[in-house]
Amino acid sequence: MTISGESHQKIDAYLKRVRKALRGMPSDDADEIIAELHSHILDRAAAGGGEAAAAGRGEATVDGGEAPVAGVDAAIHGLGSPESLASQYATEALMIRAQVSRSPVVLMQSLFRWAGLSAAGFFVCLGALVGYVLAAVLLLCALVKPFRPHTAGLWTSNGADGLNLGFHLGFGASTPQGKEILGWWIIPIGLALGYGLFVWTTRCALWSVRQYRNSRELRRS
Amino acid sequence: MSPTLPLDRDSPDKWEVQLRKGCLELAILASLWGGELYGLEILRRLASDSELIVSEGTVYPLLSRLKSLGLLESKWVESDAGHPRKYYLLTPAGRERAIEMAQIWVRFSTGLGKLLLPLGKGTA
Repeated sequence: MTISGESHQKIDAYLKRVRKALRGMPSDDADEIIAELHSHILDRAAAGGGEAAAAGRGEATVDGGEAPVAGVDAAIHGLGSPESLASQYATEALMIRAQVSRSPVVLMQSLFRWAGLSAAGFFVCLGALVGYVLAAVLLLCALVKPFRPHTAGLWTSNGADGLNLGFHLGFGASTPQGKEILGWWIIPIGLALGYGLFVWTTRCALWSVRQYRNSRELRRS
Repeated sequence: MSPTLPLDRDSPDKWEVQLRKGCLELAILASLWGGELYGLEILRRLASDSELIVSEGTVYPLLSRLKSLGLLESKWVESDAGHPRKYYLLTPAGRERAIEMAQIWVRFSTGLGKLLLPLGKGTA
């Protein structure tokens, strides 16, 4: 089977979208993925539509009676949408990076990239961001307290809009309004809670990535 | 007693999918035991030898992960088809992992097989 010019355009258009969705990945890695997918589509197309269904879904007959589309279309269909394919590469890469480094910076970078590819990624990214920021605030409060005891800590105030609870990092000039709670206890509590939240956020984020990855495989297989 | 969840109705299917998915990594490593293959050959091998129903969109990212983990390595080879293909082969670590997983698998299935023996008689 020879491949027509129109098919080449189709392949190029598809790969261009995948390449775009892979942005943020090291460009050598992305180039190699594109080259591999290109090679796959050509081979799959050359083998013909019937074989495409047979190799991809175990048996040609399980395809709900739907006649196999022409080679290139079937090959592209088998790979899935550019975004979902890129999202799977991104989550695989994310898990690898997470195994190598527990740094929240590395994790957040990967999550930001993933957030651009799927709704699930967006929410996990948002959750992790909130978790890390809160953990950082707790730790900062505890660390600054010894140096600025009157301005760092946890304050409450009964304003017009009800009870407010606020952390003050001690960078302001004046003592905050309201009543300080915890006092010096902010140091042990802040350190323990901050550290706990930090670890917990990392775990939850990785757990979500794993769940997502599993559910994708489940749905696509 | 808590009421039965609606999820339970289709759980044997879901269970099977989970089971197959859990074996996918071992299946890929095993498919490369006899020598290097490129992606499409791995897919064909999985489909013909193990009835593992997997999509390309799952296998290629997984191959790239196994490579990052150092279990596989890859090389580009020119083909008669006029375009190069990316071949995968097991690294020593990959061979080791495949053997370990295969041992666990055999131990597990032998043990479970004993337990399932009476059920087989029931359905026969």
